[in-house]
Amino acid sequence: MKCEELLQYLSDYIDQELDDALTTEAQEHLATCHNCRVVLDSTQQTIFLFREQGKRSIPAQSRSRLFDQLQDAFLTSKTS
Amino acid sequence: MDLQSGYYEDSDTLLLALRQRDPAAFAYLFEQYSDKTYRLAASLLKDEVAAEGVVQDTFLRLIERLDQFEGRANLGTWLYRIAYNLSVDRLRKRKPELELEDEPGDGRLPLPVHLVEWQQWPEKLLSDGEVTRALDEAIAALPEKFRIVFVLREVEGLSTQETAEITNLSLSATKVRLHRARLFLREQLTQSLLAIGAE
Repeated sequence: MKCEELLQYLSDYIDQELDDALTTEAQEHLATCHNCRVVLDSTQQTIFLFREQGKRSIPAQSRSRLFDQLQDAFLTSKTS
Repeated sequence: MDLQSGYYEDSDTLLLALRQRDPAAFAYLFEQYSDKTYRLAASLLKDEVAAEGVVQDTFLRLIERLDQFEGRANLGTWLYRIAYNLSVDRLRKRKPELELEDEPGDGRLPLPVHLVEWQQWPEKLLSDGEVTRALDEAIAALPEKFRIVFVLREVEGLSTQETAEITNLSLSATKVRLHRARLFLREQLTQSLLAIGAE
């Protein structure tokens, strides 16, 4: 496997969606190619950082106001 | 009803209770999906107040159409779809040139430029204010059509299938966009970490 192919398959490799033969080829390439190893590691670290940092919530005050408004609308809406 | 009981985890049970205007069922639904739809809208609109408006309109539309919902799709996927469509509508008003379709150049992958090992563990990086700002800037720089797929898959943890259903994309287009988003963000972050000396 060449670097360009590894790059093409990188997400499938990370998501473990490659078949066995391609997984083995990717592993063999990664064992000998420092640059591709760096791209793989830093991509996985990038994903981790966004998963951890991305979990923001509605500000508490807005959330409470929204819930009250919407629950009123829900309870006064017609039933079938 | 005890919300911890898992009683409403079954989609059919939840839908039936909502149709009977069970207040606990609504509270459960709001608890489960308000922040999720908020994050989806905020990631597309980059505006917290507008994102709150999308959450409000999403739940209002659900209430309005509750009795027409056929239950073929998952209730959560349905809510995400409403929030996605409402966000796109608002975004198009602000940005009529918004491009969400595939373009001829989408198939080409840019080659990695920054090939530097990250020296610090990601957990440590998250406590650095400059790094969290760099994360915000990197995702804001990602074009919307890639950003939404990345947020749904990585931040919300949805499957490729669910992400494709919400964004009305094919499975292969969803996978390609996720791949490009990951590579783009890796590049941007590596560059930022080098600039702030935290790599």
